[in-house]
Amino acid sequence: MMDDKKQVEQRKTSWSAPTGRRTDEWSECLVLIGKTNDRAAFTRFFRHFGPLIKAFALAGSSLSQTHADELVQEVMLKVWQKADGFNPEKAAASTWIYTIARNCRTDMFRRLQKFDTPLAADDLSIELEDEEPFAVLHTRRGAARVKALMGQLPPDQAQILAKVYMEGKSHSEAAAELDLPLGTVKSRVRLAIQKLQVQMARV
Amino acid sequence: MIKHHPSADILIDFAAGTLPVAQAACVSAHLNYCDCCRGSTEQLQSIGGVLMEQLVPVAVSESVLDSILARLDEPVPLSFIQQRVRHRRVDLPGLLNRIINGDFSQLAWKRVTRSLSVSHLQTGDDQREFALYRIAAGGNIPNHRHGGAEMTLVLEGGFSDELGTYHPGDFVFRDASDVHAPTAIDGEECICLAVLDAPLQFTSWQYRWLNPFLQLQAG
Ligand SMILES: [Zn+2]
Repeated sequence: MMDDKKQVEQRKTSWSAPTGRRTDEWSECLVLIGKTNDRAAFTRFFRHFGPLIKAFALAGSSLSQTHADELVQEVMLKVWQKADGFNPEKAAASTWIYTIARNCRTDMFRRLQKFDTPLAADDLSIELEDEEPFAVLHTRRGAARVKALMGQLPPDQAQILAKVYMEGKSHSEAAAELDLPLGTVKSRVRLAIQKLQVQMARV
Repeated sequence: MIKHHPSADILIDFAAGTLPVAQAACVSAHLNYCDCCRGSTEQLQSIGGVLMEQLVPVAVSESVLDSILARLDEPVPLSFIQQRVRHRRVDLPGLLNRIINGDFSQLAWKRVTRSLSVSHLQTGDDQREFALYRIAAGGNIPNHRHGGAEMTLVLEGGFSDELGTYHPGDFVFRDASDVHAPTAIDGEECICLAVLDAPLQFTSWQYRWLNPFLQLQAG
């Protein structure tokens, strides 16, 4: 236990020195939950993220209030159980909880639609490792940058990102709903990604 | 070194969780090989995190908090602990485990031509076929087109076609209009994972009679 903590401390200093990145309030809260099973921290985390998870559950979907509350429960229980795997050097708290909420929502949709698959959403999501190459970890600062740049996106681009990410619409579903050609939707999304400075491999 | 990657659209749909399960499994398998796309996916997921924080909160009743607090002492599922060990995890469902660990021997292979065998795997996706293709060393898949999109990930060996040469970890996406004839390279057999929206259709007369045997086996 002590050794783990020491390691985390060491990694934290070696990480924050070159970038000057400080962990935010919610990352610290998650670390407390993970390391000390702090129920007060968990309650604070719930009061902030619970209503956001519920909003995410209800965004553009046919989930009922009851199912939305159920989703909040599932996600928050996973937060509690997985928090000691959260590493603030590697992920922003908001990214970490988004992936949990996204996976739980996908699985809930599939359950409700009686879609039977041996693959849970968690099985397909990638968690970064401690020994990831620098090029991968380097992108970790991304969340703060994305947040800062998001405010500068033109409304038409921000609207489509919200459809895809929050409402869970594919590019073609978003095109149909907004009554736009698929090509327009794709190019707006690509432009948005460029403006948010997401680095992509050349295809 | 991976040279062929999923397009931005595909990675965004993956990060937003809107990709159909069979295609998501194929992208996930590529991420296992590709540092670059793992980094991009992580950044694309951070967009989801930022957008979620900007949603208008919807009040959750205290009784929900109470019932969660009452459940906190439940034992943690074993898989959560194992997941942290590596991304090459040991607790994956049999299907992905076999793909990722390269254990192809237990699969049921069906012979299509002298140099081509196929093994269909179940993902539950009723619109798409998820299958492994095995091309004998130097053998090829006869000229064919697709009625729909085809996602391919090279797992072992390599193949080339009119547009390029592909090695383990390379990801290739072709849509309905492309006709190609992949050939295994390097005198070693090639094993690929392919996700098809519609069955292959052989275009040359010698093989056209096989088309009825290649009906899509989704599920
Ligand atoms: Zn890649």
